[in-house]
Amino acid sequence: MLRTKTQWVLLLAVVAFLLSIPSFASAYWLTQLTLICITVIVVLGLHILCGLCGLISIGQAGLMAVGAYTAAILTTRYDIDGWICLPFSALAAGLVGVLVGLPSFRLKLFYLAISTLAAQEIILWILKYRDFWDVTGGFTGLQMEPLTLGSISFGDDGNLYILGVILAIIAAFITVNIQRSNTGRIFVAIRDNELAAEVAGISLFRNKLLAFFIAAAFAGVAGWLWAYSQLRVNPSQFNFGDSIFYMGMIIIGGLGNISGVFLGAFMLEFMGILNSDYLAPYAVDNLPTRYGATILVAMRYILGGAGVIMFLIFVPRGMSGQLADFKNFYRLWPYSFRGS
Amino acid sequence: MDAQKYVIRKRVGLPGASIRIVLEKAKSRAFLMPCSIALAIAFVITLYIAFILEGEGRDKLIGTIISGLMWGGVYAIIALGIVVVYKATRIFNMAHGGILLFLAYTTWWLMAPDRQNLDNWLALILVACAAIVMGLVIDRVIFRRMIGAAPLITFMMSLFLGFIFLHGLTQLTFEGKSQIMPKIFPEGTIAVGNYNLPYDLLFGFIVATLMFLAFVLYFRFTKSGLAMRCVSEDSVLSQSLGIDVKKIYAIAWVIGCLAAAVGGVLIGTKTAVYSESGGMGVYALYRALPIVILGGLESIPGAYIAALMVGLLESLAGSYIDPHFPGFRAVLPYLLVIGIMIVRPHGLFGLKGIRRI
Repeated sequence: MLRTKTQWVLLLAVVAFLLSIPSFASAYWLTQLTLICITVIVVLGLHILCGLCGLISIGQAGLMAVGAYTAAILTTRYDIDGWICLPFSALAAGLVGVLVGLPSFRLKLFYLAISTLAAQEIILWILKYRDFWDVTGGFTGLQMEPLTLGSISFGDDGNLYILGVILAIIAAFITVNIQRSNTGRIFVAIRDNELAAEVAGISLFRNKLLAFFIAAAFAGVAGWLWAYSQLRVNPSQFNFGDSIFYMGMIIIGGLGNISGVFLGAFMLEFMGILNSDYLAPYAVDNLPTRYGATILVAMRYILGGAGVIMFLIFVPRGMSGQLADFKNFYRLWPYSFRGS
Repeated sequence: MDAQKYVIRKRVGLPGASIRIVLEKAKSRAFLMPCSIALAIAFVITLYIAFILEGEGRDKLIGTIISGLMWGGVYAIIALGIVVVYKATRIFNMAHGGILLFLAYTTWWLMAPDRQNLDNWLALILVACAAIVMGLVIDRVIFRRMIGAAPLITFMMSLFLGFIFLHGLTQLTFEGKSQIMPKIFPEGTIAVGNYNLPYDLLFGFIVATLMFLAFVLYFRFTKSGLAMRCVSEDSVLSQSLGIDVKKIYAIAWVIGCLAAAVGGVLIGTKTAVYSESGGMGVYALYRALPIVILGGLESIPGAYIAALMVGLLESLAGSYIDPHFPGFRAVLPYLLVIGIMIVRPHGLFGLKGIRRI
């Protein structure tokens, strides 16, 4: 699948390194890396939807919430085993995603984005709705037990991290496969020119809904993993700021490139870690105490927002575009001025 | 059309050509049908209230309708900001909510007794200056480089600016807690029939409507307003006629930010100034979005009429549906956005987009 044997060896080496991290990393880093894995899964789904199919969706956090709540409700109320909840989470989130994507037959570009944002708010409102509180647990949410597989308990950070890495690798594998398959080519055709695709015989509406289903299923799996990493779900964990950040990760990384997904996700998440470890405590120490606990989130928002805006102004093709430019430069050196 | 009018205006100075455009729009079916439907519905409702409904139900309905219309006026000035920026620069300004949040917090900070404690008038003038500066900064620093960029990129940028950057900046600068805005308008109520209309709502409506009218007069009767109309038709052509398009963009952003400031202050006097769970910014933006889409993205009188309709709908839903489904009033705007966009995406008064093959 990769081009050369060297690339395969490098990939296996990286995967081996990732899987060996729990032996030497601290618990803090393991939780952060698990969160990065969850984010990567969500953004891979968004890549299929937005990068391949061209449908902007700012509703992934809501679909994650559906997946997480499905897992929580099925395990706490119906005592279904956690592993069986995984396909149910994906399926439930996928169906809700299809509902979210229904307006896509009529709406273009930013109208669709607004309607997905509105749909996410509706999902979160339903989760907070008073009459459903005996099912959803209201504002305090639901508590869950850790996963077990035989004798391995996934309440432990290291084991959960390995599960996250495995799920992320499987998700990346599925995404690359979709990209290279007939369905992927159909999605790209829809993105490039809808009218031509329809003339060529592609059923637009059905394939758009399929794209929404796949992206939502990815978000549902990520939500399942999130539920088991946090061991409680409540509505305040999912807000639209996260959805907008997922979209930003794709755009920073480069729209339409699968390596862009990883680049964008890593960049924004590491910026978040940098902020919460180094910059925010500095600010908390230096500002008067009446500012309270909102400084962390506020600074992440400011830095993330400013960073993404800078990227959009100065690097419109994203990091993968810059990487491609750099590879070109390297390949042509010392004749890089020629361009090809 | 407007380009020719600009040339004529420069030479001759006639204001009459604009009336012709309104009449041309009125002749098309798209203008008459929604107007007549709305008038018919209003007529039927008035008859119903006046003759059939009795007693307490009648008071409740009258109160709902009046408060809905008053709120609609306030939403209209917020929607105006989005419409003006879109008309002039073709940028869908999702940052409007964030700007509104920031300016509302600035007003609180200037007026609160335990912060700066400035006089009302001084504080409002300072906020207006802050809004002007903010509009100029946003236009110059951020959006001027994106002239001609893909609409997705500018949309993402305005999304990030409003929801993320300005939200975080507000929380960092103004401590992120809900605050009560000091009263600008006198206390008390005025009795309309059996319904007590609070003064601040009435004054909010009057202020919002006056600002709306001021903008319409600017747009219709001044040379710079005519230039803005010209730029909104075709910016390249306007540039070739000698209109300074970048200056018009800056003016449009300034007007948008001023509208956001007014809207933020008016909403803040009625509800608290808050930023949790998205805060006032999301609240205002999502009341303004269905209005903008219902009224048509390019139509200014459409924005006002749609604002009245959406305010009325929200008020009616609050009175009659909330007892059955608590909290429905909060989710109605989101349902409205999706519904309106599916049924009639160009709104009542907007121009139907021509699909280019």
